[in-house]
Amino acid sequence: MGLLRWARAVSPWILHFNTGACNACDIEVVAALTPRFDVERFGALKVGSPRHADILVVTGPVTRESEPRLRRLYEQMPEPKLVMAVGTCAISGGVFAGCYNVRGGVINVLGKADMMVPGCPPRPEAILEGLIKLVERLRGIKKR
Amino acid sequence: MVLSLNDLIAMLIFPGFFFLILMAFFLEWLDRKVVAKVQDRYGPLMAGPAGILQPIADFIKLLSKEDIVPRGANKVLLTAGPILMVALPLTALLFVPIDGQSAIVDFEGSLIAVLFILILTTQLVLLIGWASANVFAAEGSMRSALQMLSYEIPLALTAICPALMAGSLSLSEIYRAQAELGWPFLAYLPPLGAISFLVFLTCSLAELERVPFDAPEAETEIVAGWMTELTGRRLALVKLGRNLDFLLMASLMASLYLGDPITPSLPLLAPAAFILKTLACAGIMSFARGLVARFRIDQALRLFWTYIIPISVGVLVATKLALLLA
Repeated sequence: MGLLRWARAVSPWILHFNTGACNACDIEVVAALTPRFDVERFGALKVGSPRHADILVVTGPVTRESEPRLRRLYEQMPEPKLVMAVGTCAISGGVFAGCYNVRGGVINVLGKADMMVPGCPPRPEAILEGLIKLVERLRGIKKR
Repeated sequence: MVLSLNDLIAMLIFPGFFFLILMAFFLEWLDRKVVAKVQDRYGPLMAGPAGILQPIADFIKLLSKEDIVPRGANKVLLTAGPILMVALPLTALLFVPIDGQSAIVDFEGSLIAVLFILILTTQLVLLIGWASANVFAAEGSMRSALQMLSYEIPLALTAICPALMAGSLSLSEIYRAQAELGWPFLAYLPPLGAISFLVFLTCSLAELERVPFDAPEAETEIVAGWMTELTGRRLALVKLGRNLDFLLMASLMASLYLGDPITPSLPLLAPAAFILKTLACAGIMSFARGLVARFRIDQALRLFWTYIIPISVGVLVATKLALLLA
């Protein structure tokens, strides 16, 4: 299955979903696609349809309003699928944790987050590093 | 009809299926690299040397993903559609003289057959979108059908111009006729051949649903257009089919407009020259993707019906008149 592992590792297509972020993390995620950082070097494409995606990139605390949508997007993605939480809010709810309208981080809703990138907002380099580490895990390479 | 070993090799390896599929993957890599260069990026870099294996990795990955058919969707159409999506352009590519001399299947009227297959491909898009039971997919396929109503006419009209000059409807014959003419049809009675080429190029972009005519799959408006509900194997086949379509249009351009007097008689140089011409045409189309923005569907229709169709009729009439006077 080496070939399959390699194929999955060099072609991570991402779907970006904002669950209620302040837009800072979103700008950083989009910046990762731009010429300066160019996430396509690693084979990543930003796709529009959850049916085409491999990695769900979530930014922002999960609000009550966005919770069912996040669940549905995740369910619409075909297996094997991964979740990446970008920013402190997506990890734990951040400063919004405990608010009446916030359910917490992605892990509180989906029960999993394969990679967490902390920061408020994380720099594009940090997002790229998170993606690369996730991809290396797919490939079965263990680094420190 | 007896099939010899040579025929079998021609059909399956070069310039047949194996070569064509590899070439389709190569064109996707080239496309992504060219667009990345235009945008001052690197493009795919990690899969193989300079990322050349990227399309193959995407294909293998998609083949291994979960296969989802939404409730309410027509499973038969969603299965048959992607398979035909690959089979139709592969069939049409057998009519094109990829080896620079003669097509594998060469008959009087292969140009008409190719144009017919191009229409069938668009019909398939309509069927897949409709069978997906999804509003975005339906919207995308409707736009695709609307667009077809506008570009199909000038595409056929301009493709007939080189055929008129050659006096034949066989693609290999048209390619050879340009060798006898002494220069490519692109340079025929300047600027007649060039205008014809430009119209054909514009219609090819619309046929391939590429920027600026990618309203049928406009990612920022309607998710992924008619491909929205396709997953795994189906998406892999559709993507491969679209790359083959890309190869088909580029090689059509090369055979209709870029024949030359020197190479077709040389055994090894002929395929190399033809492939280089195909790559150049594909490069022009990729370059356009990096340079321009998207037309709204009504703008695309208006562009075709008010400008491109009259121009294509004019070019056809002028070519016929020039031939009568010559």
